[in-house]
Amino acid sequence: MESLRPLLAVCLPALAALGIFALAERPNAREAVSVLASLGLLGVVASMVPAVLAGETFTLTLAPFVAGVPLALRADGLALLFALLASLLWPVATIYSIGYVRALDESHQTRYFASFAASIAVTMGVAFAGNLLVLFVWYELLTLATYPLVVHKGSAEAKRVGRRYVAFGLLGGTAVLAGCLLVYALAGSLAFTPGGIAALTGADPLLVNTAFALLVGGFGVKAAVIPFYVWLPDAMVAPTPVSSLLHAVAVVKSGVFGLARVVLFVFGPELVRTLGLSGALAALAAATTLLAALLAIRQERFKRGLAYSTVSQLSYIVLGVAVLVPDAVFGALLHIAAHAFMKLSLFFCAGIIYVETHVEYIKPLRGISRRLPLTAALFGVAAAGLVGFPLLAGFVSKWYLLVGLLGDGRLLLAGAVLVASLLKLVFFWPIVTSVVFSEATDAQRDRDPSTVGGPEPGKLWEHRTWRNETTWLLLGPLVAAVGFAVAFGVVPTELPFFGLAERVVTEVLGA
Amino acid sequence: MSEFQPLVALVVTPVVLAVALPLVERWASRLAGPLATGAYLLQVGLAALVTSRVLSSGPVRYALGGFPPSYGIELVVDGLGAAVVLLVAVVGLGAHTYTRVHGPRDAAARALGLLLVAGLSGIAVTGDLFNLYVFLEIAGIAAYALVARSSGGAAALAAFRYLLVGTVGATLYLLGVAYAYAATGTLNFAALAAYLAKAGYSDPLVVAGFGFALVGLAVKIALVPAHTWLPDAHSKAPASVSVLLSGLVTTAAVYALVRLLASVYTPAFLLANPVFRAALVAAGVLSVLVGGVAAFRQHKLKRLLAYSTVAQLGLVVAGVGLASEIAVRGAVIHLLGHAVMKGGLFLAAGALAERHGATTLEAYDGLGRREPLLGGAVAVLALGMVGFPPTVGFVGKWYVAVGALQQGAWALLAVVLLSTFLSLAYFGPLVRRLFFPASDSAKPGHDDASGHHATDGGTDYGVEKGESAPADPLPVGAWVGPVVAAAATVGLGIGAHYVLRLVGPALEVFP
Repeated sequence: MESLRPLLAVCLPALAALGIFALAERPNAREAVSVLASLGLLGVVASMVPAVLAGETFTLTLAPFVAGVPLALRADGLALLFALLASLLWPVATIYSIGYVRALDESHQTRYFASFAASIAVTMGVAFAGNLLVLFVWYELLTLATYPLVVHKGSAEAKRVGRRYVAFGLLGGTAVLAGCLLVYALAGSLAFTPGGIAALTGADPLLVNTAFALLVGGFGVKAAVIPFYVWLPDAMVAPTPVSSLLHAVAVVKSGVFGLARVVLFVFGPELVRTLGLSGALAALAAATTLLAALLAIRQERFKRGLAYSTVSQLSYIVLGVAVLVPDAVFGALLHIAAHAFMKLSLFFCAGIIYVETHVEYIKPLRGISRRLPLTAALFGVAAAGLVGFPLLAGFVSKWYLLVGLLGDGRLLLAGAVLVASLLKLVFFWPIVTSVVFSEATDAQRDRDPSTVGGPEPGKLWEHRTWRNETTWLLLGPLVAAVGFAVAFGVVPTELPFFGLAERVVTEVLGA
Repeated sequence: MSEFQPLVALVVTPVVLAVALPLVERWASRLAGPLATGAYLLQVGLAALVTSRVLSSGPVRYALGGFPPSYGIELVVDGLGAAVVLLVAVVGLGAHTYTRVHGPRDAAARALGLLLVAGLSGIAVTGDLFNLYVFLEIAGIAAYALVARSSGGAAALAAFRYLLVGTVGATLYLLGVAYAYAATGTLNFAALAAYLAKAGYSDPLVVAGFGFALVGLAVKIALVPAHTWLPDAHSKAPASVSVLLSGLVTTAAVYALVRLLASVYTPAFLLANPVFRAALVAAGVLSVLVGGVAAFRQHKLKRLLAYSTVAQLGLVVAGVGLASEIAVRGAVIHLLGHAVMKGGLFLAAGALAERHGATTLEAYDGLGRREPLLGGAVAVLALGMVGFPPTVGFVGKWYVAVGALQQGAWALLAVVLLSTFLSLAYFGPLVRRLFFPASDSAKPGHDDASGHHATDGGTDYGVEKGESAPADPLPVGAWVGPVVAAAATVGLGIGAHYVLRLVGPALEVFP
């Protein structure tokens, strides 16, 4: 069904970015634009959900772009799953951003909020892209739109990281472009088709394999698959709200989303299976999830550790999509949402800790529950969810993933998932225990930079209650994010993500 | 065969007005400026009239003096010619608008500018091989004079070199014309196409004629290794002249090449003599690489832009060399797009140099904040040059890449993709410097223990005080060109289909 709503979803945050620039001199009005736009976007996206759950697909063909490829938008199950997730979390992250940048008195706040809105606009473009070329266009623009946020600090380190960020982004984009070209030359079409573009089936297998490798590699850059993950931990130099919504949800999931589009809607499960591409991709994902889980444990900086954990979690999703078993794909799609809720919560915690104490490293977190009781408690909940405790978001998605893998006899892959979960426990357990239980820091504290920000040697953290531990602009969004994670764990079927994921699996795999 | 008067007017009116301008300045100097503006507006109107006529009823012709075409001179405009005529008029108007603010404003410079426009329009509308030479020379002489008029010994030397090399190129072209005339006895495009085929595509006269014409035009286009005259000539001239040189003069030379291939020698000739195709692709690829590397090594912005012209036109010529319909379409889109983008960039560079004395990359540090309008335009134009989607720079590359892919020209395909990184290597730092200066400290007042300074009022969150707002507001003439060009960069990219509707029919002769 033709509908202007996907276009509206892209335009609304883009217009908000312009409005934010226009109101640069009036901060409160400027922030009101962000909040209102984010709520409006949520309304627009949510309004499409019931129809799509009922089997409808909204499309919009604007104009021809290049020969045979129109500028087209498409709102199907997969698109809405991603768009709804991003638009649901944008208002939350916006409130948090306001609290964060104002508490830290950040410079260039207008640029910050405008870039944030622009990034969301581009993310909507990624979600609602109607064919591979349009997806590529938005995928490239995503690198551009998020660049100002990565280099926000303006320090030499931020600029170095920014260069690398653009180089990786463009490398991925160019690989996607090359893949698009090949698919276009082979099939004459780039339109997303549930189950794959038919014309690719008869094409030269070598070229099809090359195209698949280029597209998977290209989207794999943002999905942070081996060996392309290195930009993500570096990008943690950005302000924490950016790390939370963009580098744990929007940007990285654009990569995963692109991969899912390529596997399920361009090549199609049949072709991917016959060409033996599924096994290679699954193995790569399994290796990434293990390696990143190991690397996370070795990190001293809190946010870097979380970033490696993101790398590891993203590969669960890639793995699930790659094996092409209905249950595993379903679990992977659920995990897109589940991981978003939990990682958002964890980054929100990291941000609160930084705002209140300027601690960036894991070591000085010992006993910080005295200073930030509610934050520490919610951190524990979110961490438990990420490890995979029942009644939390991570459990549901991982359950389906494992059921799918075991049901198909992929014992090794299932083992990798379980081991990675165990490694997550190894990463989070010491942090959680030291946050809650540790006594006063011992006297052997030296001038180690990784302990900056902690309490004085031999002292405990100052005691505060949840009422005065931090501002509600920061705590409110955290409570909301953890709330989503719990709701997703307790009543997953009540949230639209469940139905949307079901819809995708039925559409593509017919099961 | 329709006789369409505006076709003649396209060439005649600017010549007449160019002659009239110095006289008007002498007798009524206040009218000279408005008269020149009127001349450019008239040119745009005429070009639009011709274009709409071509769109509605196909190619238009005019036999000068009523002599039948194979004896007399014929003017012919198809969609391709109309596009170039329109481009010349619009870019000319843009450059003229700029001269009203930043000069040069004297009658001689304006007369030469109009003469250049007349010559370039003539190149686009002529249907006669010798007449093409005449217009090339008219445009050339006006261009040499324009460069020579700028002050300084370096400019005089550059102009002299430009004159020498340009004349060599034109003479070689004339030699080619002589051979073609000797082989066929006619100079009319349409008649030549028939007679050359009759004479045989392997006839030494025909082959030598094309060879000379090709080398002559290659010198005028500044293909590597005949490119060394261009950076000096284009960068020593005032900005308004650089726009005409880099945006239009080289573009007209490429147009002449495409015209020779499409209408005179025909693609069949190229297929019979693959050596020319290989030569075109090789020279194009070499230009992309050499021009790109040279641009990367420049510190002065205008020289960077000049070398980038070599690289971008190399891509165009390589696309022409593929000689397939889709590749030539891409080449033409890129040719037109490059003219618009490069024109806008030179205008913006000129305005920034006039207002802030910024001529080197280093001097661009932070300029984007002081001049958001110009800075924003430069950013869009530079990203268009890099080939970010959905700008026109991307669409041209896409078609050339598809053409390369279809012919299995893997090396060219790789170069097309690589050229993105090459151009990012020199345009990237420019954009970064504009908005993220190297000297940008982490954040004012952040290291300050008190955390508050005078500007941190209660509602002053992140509002940047006009740290160095320019004393005088930006005059319209200084920004309108770059901003329109930036809008066109995106508009022509998204609307490339409509450009192709105009120029496409002229390129259907290619296989």
